[in-house]
Amino acid sequence: MLAEGVNGLFGHTALIIGLAASVFGAGALATATLLKDQRLVRTVQAYVMVALIGAVLAVVVMQRALITRDWSIAYVQKVGSYDTPPLFNFTALWSALEGSILLWLLLLAIYTFIVARRYRDRMSDPLVAWALVTMLVVSAFFFFLALGPTDAFQAGGVPNFDQCCKGPNPLLQNHVLVLFHPPILYLGYVGFTVPFAFAIGALITGRVGEGWLMETRRWALFAWGFLTLGIILGSWWSYEVLGWGGVWAWDPVENASFLPWLTGTAYIHSVLVQERRGMLRVWNLSLLVATFSLTILGTFLTRSGVVNSVHAFSDGTIGPYLLGFFGVIVVVSLGLIAWRGDRLRSPGAIDSPISREGAFLANNVVFSLFAFIILLGTVFPLIVEAKEDRQIAVGSPFFDTLGQPIGIVLLFLMAIAPVLPWRKAGMELLRDRLFWPAWCSAAALAIAVIFGATDFAPLLAFTLAGFAGGSAMRQLVLATRRQGYRGLLGRANGGMVVHIGIILIAVGLAASNSYTRAGEFTMVKGDTVQFAGHQFELVDVVEFENPTSVGIKALVSIDGGQPYAPAISKFTAQGMDVSTPSVKTGLFKDIYLTLGNGSKPSTGTAKLKIFIKPMIVWLWVGGLLCAAGTILAAFPGKHRRRPTDPVSAPVPLDEVADV
Amino acid sequence: MSDAPVTEAPAEQPAKPRRLAPVISLVVAAVLGALFWVLASSASGPTDESGVIESPLLGRPAPALRSTTLDEEPFDLARRKGSWVVLNFFNSTCAPCRAEHPALVEFTEQQASFGDEGAELYTVLQYLDDVNNVKAFFLNRGGDWPIVRDDDGTINVAFGVAQVPETFIINPNGEVVVRWAGQIDANTLSQLVQQQRDLFGAT
Amino acid sequence: MSRTSSLKRWPGWVLLLFVVVGFLVYGSTRDAGARTPEERVEEIAKRLACPVCDGESVYESANPASAAIRQEIKAQVSSGVATDDDIVAYIVQQFGAQTQLVPKASGFESLVWVLPAVAFVCAGVGLFFAFRRWRTTIDTVPDDADRALVDAALAEQDEPDEP
Repeated sequence: MLAEGVNGLFGHTALIIGLAASVFGAGALATATLLKDQRLVRTVQAYVMVALIGAVLAVVVMQRALITRDWSIAYVQKVGSYDTPPLFNFTALWSALEGSILLWLLLLAIYTFIVARRYRDRMSDPLVAWALVTMLVVSAFFFFLALGPTDAFQAGGVPNFDQCCKGPNPLLQNHVLVLFHPPILYLGYVGFTVPFAFAIGALITGRVGEGWLMETRRWALFAWGFLTLGIILGSWWSYEVLGWGGVWAWDPVENASFLPWLTGTAYIHSVLVQERRGMLRVWNLSLLVATFSLTILGTFLTRSGVVNSVHAFSDGTIGPYLLGFFGVIVVVSLGLIAWRGDRLRSPGAIDSPISREGAFLANNVVFSLFAFIILLGTVFPLIVEAKEDRQIAVGSPFFDTLGQPIGIVLLFLMAIAPVLPWRKAGMELLRDRLFWPAWCSAAALAIAVIFGATDFAPLLAFTLAGFAGGSAMRQLVLATRRQGYRGLLGRANGGMVVHIGIILIAVGLAASNSYTRAGEFTMVKGDTVQFAGHQFELVDVVEFENPTSVGIKALVSIDGGQPYAPAISKFTAQGMDVSTPSVKTGLFKDIYLTLGNGSKPSTGTAKLKIFIKPMIVWLWVGGLLCAAGTILAAFPGKHRRRPTDPVSAPVPLDEVADV
Repeated sequence: MSDAPVTEAPAEQPAKPRRLAPVISLVVAAVLGALFWVLASSASGPTDESGVIESPLLGRPAPALRSTTLDEEPFDLARRKGSWVVLNFFNSTCAPCRAEHPALVEFTEQQASFGDEGAELYTVLQYLDDVNNVKAFFLNRGGDWPIVRDDDGTINVAFGVAQVPETFIINPNGEVVVRWAGQIDANTLSQLVQQQRDLFGAT
Repeated sequence: MSRTSSLKRWPGWVLLLFVVVGFLVYGSTRDAGARTPEERVEEIAKRLACPVCDGESVYESANPASAAIRQEIKAQVSSGVATDDDIVAYIVQQFGAQTQLVPKASGFESLVWVLPAVAFVCAGVGLFFAFRRWRTTIDTVPDDADRALVDAALAEQDEPDEP
């Protein structure tokens, strides 16, 4: 056998080409911009193209290696096996650290390519040029990671089939969502590189106008949409695969994806204030920088083994590089802001706290506070360890306790903000516009109480959710009455669709966290139990066998209907038990069955755990609405004022309502 | 960063254009620098090394331990007072436990040479371990000391056993004196017992 | 503005207030039914971290150690003597402080509770002062720097603005 197989050779070559293209491309474009050399500027397209080819080639070669089970590559030994089904063999690309960096790299190269193509006629503009330089520098860093610290194409030695080649982690070959969740989440993470790059471009050129912002708004929106969808799909995966009946555990990896979501959400709101009133320029730049650096920090936290998590691919070697990169980003961005910040000083002022911009500002404060709390909770064990050298844990009770009031405040702001006009609002106007939304809140509360909801916190959440939902519906109804279906398009209206999605998610979370019921039953074949108004009959306990696992499943008939089959599989190669739940989904409640250890087909006994989880489906529907709303928001709405128009004159009243 | 709107305010004031951005950036940089230092100094990853570790049980009477062995004999730790007892927590699917087994066999042989003074070894099963697997394992790999069942997990919890294998040494007064996490070899275990014997004799 | 505008004055709002408060009080004070032992076990398990599997609670974890702890909690709950806090304290004593998912409110750990509160107060106060400052500066005359900013913005209007 060759020292390095053909796949390893091609993979390394592709990565080296990509690294070289990124480094030289960044260098050439930076030089060209500084020297104002137009001819040199045009060459950057070629560099970007070559970098993309390098990244695509690396991924294709890795897929080829996985498909052909090329054991000469260490990564294939780690995540491949002869028995893995094709789908999960394909997703094995991102089932461990090295491959997931390749996926990141591919998406980054694609984004860079699109940016370069899209703005190829404007590359002479230093702002765009510096943005592309930033993207190429980030690409170069990830090419470097993929070549050095997380070398996916490392030669693997002679495989010892007793110990290696057992396929991906069983949890990652158990559900089709593994195909969608990581790439979509990464599309969100990586997507925030683009607005960040433009922010850096704006800082370097010191351009005080809103031009850069126009370029980035839609990129940020898309990245945000993907991130939202990715997070929701992750929760869904957790619900369908992990078998503890929950969707969100405040695990460090989950927190790492939630942090940029929070700052990103703050940004897509506060950017409207800048567009409309020309204010909060430094703040918006800071939010973009924070969002991007939090994606890197999150990657560091979860990929370096510093924070322990079930999702983490602990690998000590990558940590220092990611942390160093995070440091560089922060130092460069802060330095630029310190240098340029005062130049970005805006002439506007907020007239009244009771105004659209006032509400957005409050929203930003709350989101930042939320992000701070989650970051604090995530790294706090490290702080204690560094200071007092002992181990502590910060877990879901902490985040739940502090997250609840913040969620309540955010729902309240979601109710108020959409009806507020820019600049200033009188009490009379509020009274008038909030009237029906407020009655929606009363209706939501009444329905919840009639259906038996108890406890103050969830009831308050339902009330405010009704309020916020009413506000969002009011905007949509007014807009569609005026403009027909086009009333759903545009930022303000699409945004309201997203709001409704978020409200559904909030209601689903409040209900499922507060009213879940659970019971455990040891049953023998033929037994029937009553629980929470349902009848469960254990029809049979059977054994089954798959290429990669053996297991037992219980057939349980709910209320005499078709049997549901919760199972426990033992993945023979890894010696790992995976419990697969079976869910009867309904609009208002899910019945979630899991099978416990100690179930035996020979005696026909099953240890059954039954969860009654209300309103889980609302989370998935809400996630879909968020995605749909993001797409609607990306369409240009009715004629809008140019954001760069000076806004010192009062905005006419009739225009106030529809933005 | 949560206080950024605070810092934003002065920057918006047109009357006195002070250069505030550098100051604010410096403050943020200081906070992030501290975070950076904490992260950089964190040991990466949990340490899986084996060795003597802390336990709230050390120096205290061992928790009550009444169960049955795989041979259906009753077992009560309190009845073992007067002898040195070594408890080894075991799971038949855990790789280090299986790897450790020859060392335990050797340890029992070493202790046999002490006669009545020799430490008694007991294996305590981890919660939910498959009894048939355990029996098969001991049949194949030797070892004739009693295997104590823990059908409801109480023993594991009482001893705070998180990650098997773990080994506890209990002195003739029934007090826990050593807790060892991870794989152990025969000589180390014998030496640990001997050290404790010497200490015990000295008091 | 609307046919219902007279309704939207105070009578409508007062009625609304009564309805909301009434339902809230009724809903939150009525008996939710006793907790089942399973639910109690769950609540306790959610407060404890799995001692081996990183980042999961005892409630979520499938590890044998967690299963043993759940079994222990169940036994203690069904014996009916210990309170939730007692059971948590017992497990934490056996397995070490890192199994307690809710940080203590004393010593250095209290910072994790104090800092969010401090941040909250700072944010609130900061927001208040920011609004006040903006309101007081609303009548200031634009200075040259401001005019330059507006000029620059106007100059940029000639650039294409849609990506």
